Amino acid sequence: MKRLFDIYYSYMKIVIAMQLQYRASLLIWAFSSLVWVLIPLVVWVTVAKSQGGQVGSYSSGDFAAYFIALLIVEQTTFTWVIWEMGERIRSGQLSPKLLRPIHPIHEDVAWNISYKAITFALILPSALLIGWAFHAEFHPHVWHIVVFFPSLISAFLMRFVMEWTIGLVGFWVTRTSAINQIYSTLFLFLSGQMTPLSLLPRPLEMLANILPFKWAVAFPTELVLGRLTPTQVLLGFAIQASWLLVSLIAFRFIWRLGISRYSAVGA
Amino acid sequence: MDSIVTVRALRKVYHVPEREAGVVSAVASLFNRKTREVVAVDSIYFDLPPGEVVGFLGPNGAGKTTTLKMLSGLLYPTSGEALVLGHYPWRRERKFLQQITLVMGQRTQLWWDIPVIDSFEMYRAIYEIPHKQYRHTLDELTELLELAPLLRKPVRNLSLGERMKCEFAAALLHRPRVLFLDEPTIGLDVTMQARIRAFIKEYNQRYGSTVLLTSHYMADVEALCKRVIVIHHGTILYDGDLLGLVHRFSPEKTIVVELREGSFDLSHFGRVIEQDGARVVLRVSKDDTPRITSQLLANLPVLDLTVEDPPIEEVIGQVFAQQEVA
Amino acid sequence: MRYARLLGTFFRIGLMSELQYRANFFVQAFQSLVGLLTGLGGLAIVFGQTDNLDGWLPEELLAVLGVYILIGGIVGLIVRPSLERFMEDVRQGTLDFALTKPLDSQVYVSTRQLEIWRLFDVGLGIVVIIIALVQIGDSVGTYQAISFGIVLFSGSVIVYSFLLSLATLAFWFIRVENLLVIFESMYQAGRWPVTIYPQPLRAALTFLVPVAFAVTVPAQALTGKITWQLLVGAILLSIALLLFSRWFWHQGIRHYSGASA
Repeated sequence: MKRLFDIYYSYMKIVIAMQLQYRASLLIWAFSSLVWVLIPLVVWVTVAKSQGGQVGSYSSGDFAAYFIALLIVEQTTFTWVIWEMGERIRSGQLSPKLLRPIHPIHEDVAWNISYKAITFALILPSALLIGWAFHAEFHPHVWHIVVFFPSLISAFLMRFVMEWTIGLVGFWVTRTSAINQIYSTLFLFLSGQMTPLSLLPRPLEMLANILPFKWAVAFPTELVLGRLTPTQVLLGFAIQASWLLVSLIAFRFIWRLGISRYSAVGA
Repeated sequence: MDSIVTVRALRKVYHVPEREAGVVSAVASLFNRKTREVVAVDSIYFDLPPGEVVGFLGPNGAGKTTTLKMLSGLLYPTSGEALVLGHYPWRRERKFLQQITLVMGQRTQLWWDIPVIDSFEMYRAIYEIPHKQYRHTLDELTELLELAPLLRKPVRNLSLGERMKCEFAAALLHRPRVLFLDEPTIGLDVTMQARIRAFIKEYNQRYGSTVLLTSHYMADVEALCKRVIVIHHGTILYDGDLLGLVHRFSPEKTIVVELREGSFDLSHFGRVIEQDGARVVLRVSKDDTPRITSQLLANLPVLDLTVEDPPIEEVIGQVFAQQEVA
Repeated sequence: MRYARLLGTFFRIGLMSELQYRANFFVQAFQSLVGLLTGLGGLAIVFGQTDNLDGWLPEELLAVLGVYILIGGIVGLIVRPSLERFMEDVRQGTLDFALTKPLDSQVYVSTRQLEIWRLFDVGLGIVVIIIALVQIGDSVGTYQAISFGIVLFSGSVIVYSFLLSLATLAFWFIRVENLLVIFESMYQAGRWPVTIYPQPLRAALTFLVPVAFAVTVPAQALTGKITWQLLVGAILLSIALLLFSRWFWHQGIRHYSGASA
């Protein structure tokens, strides 16, 4: 454990210094994340306006609060590893990582956290600014905020392990972009990124419940907005834990399968 | 467990998909995967005692890199056994990985955008090197490889030679007991090649680590290795010392004659390789050498005469050529 | 005309070289399709909750989506790959090869690199626009069709001139790829009519980054929402920007050549 901590500390120190060198790219990425949330926010606020101020259980101010919370949740839980993994495997860049006495996933986690540590300084004030500009209605209880943090952590773990495992499909398929696109699109519709899930047509809403995406994004979002009963919160944590368990099992299994194929075919 | 590396009947077979050109074959190949078997390494045997520097020599595609990858755990063998430091490499046990290193000529294991010293820091953490030992090793390597001016530069700003030096340092920070070096001097200029060779030799003498080095540069092998394993088409053709290689595969010697004047036709003495006015290079069989030498000295106005072994490249080249025919 | 034939050649070469990778054909078609379905899905969900978005009807928003995909396709087909290559050339110092060709440098640099697969987007965009028109029904007259054509063309010219001017900054600042990325992310706002955005954003999307002129205004022309002031404004703006971008380009060339002297 101390060893892992030592490794993460060294990684992050160095990666943060490196990412700060590319400040411009960081700014652009952070900016894109803001735009990406701003668009559906404006759309739904407009819909609310044309519907007399309320759509489902969301008023204009509720929509603003939803998307601000979503921004924070996305920033904390997102990964980009599925887009890199295919190339990494194909080009043989994976091999040097296999020679080190540590699992390659740790490096990716360290990078991910480092990036977020830096950009959060920009995202958080922007979120507050947008919330103020759109009159977000946000009345949380203290305990909502308190419970929010563990939900974010487990959402991050769940999503990271899941997406890292999905990236491993690159061991068998050369063109991973199509698979990545399908995944991203499903995620977009069924996780709560595009719209609060209660506004989806019923069959889609039910589908979202049984898929893992919602539990990484919509669950923490609705939690911090105070839209969930205590029972629902507990249930949500249980489901997150189950998906994390499933992801970990799949991760170990598929990694072993993928590595033996990689090592058989040629590194 | 005397040997550091034990290889028994190690075999690696690749299945290469085969397909003819054309649309019809392309579609057909979707349903019927035809593969061809390529035997990269064909049941080889050898042992490496601790502290030895062994050269793995062979042309491209001979199986050197494949063998190295199997010994470092990157590839699973098709059959056979290999033990390195008492471990099966492909199990990639942490204890095993912490004691070996693999340096690949063209590939980098350093992080591209950060200063070299930061890559070293990362390795320190990954290999759990105690701080004091790390400082000590780093100082030694910096001195041996003249790294001081390079440490603060990002890797992408280094020339190939500078980068190779840093690769070596990074690979040795954790004082591995076994070094696998795959074409370490490829692409480097002559001075840098000599520097790297000197370094490897020095390092091996100081720390007694076992080194398995592959190359197709004869100069690497000549400078570093008393023992040579020649591999071609996945089989070991020769395993022994360098001199023995020459004696076994080349039954010829080279005689370089410098005459006082004139152009003579020396073709009845032996095979003329070169003739440049008064300087002639002859190839004669080993047994005939004493006789031909005295004949030349007796019958011709000889200014200077030397007897040499043919260049090892030629010997090796002939070995491989013979294998092709066989 | 010489340049028309040149463009035709670039197309042919680009097509031939890409068609070698047959798998790419299906993958790219698939990706364009998924992009379309994502857009349609978004529309469906929104119109599951309302029948009117700030005065825009579903079929009118379908037209917006069509124009969005079409313009995105045109930019992705010619403008973006060529300008990316230009910026790469400036960075690597290999621009001279382009400048010594017996061609107008601006036209050559802007059109020589194609990403053929964007044709899928162009095609899909057109199809969606046609379907939208059919849905809108008989309220599409000749005036609308003509004004749509004009504004679509002006919009494309505006976007092109804008991107070219951004890329031209590379002559002075070398590393400007990030600017194009900003455009890409703001362009996504064009999927919805710019009129729904509150003021500071709407101004940014009209004058800072010409998303409005690229997508919303042509869609307005198509659906009869356009005023003649806007129509004339679009035309004038396109001419002005084109002239500016050309002038700016030549400044850049002069700076570049002077610098290496």
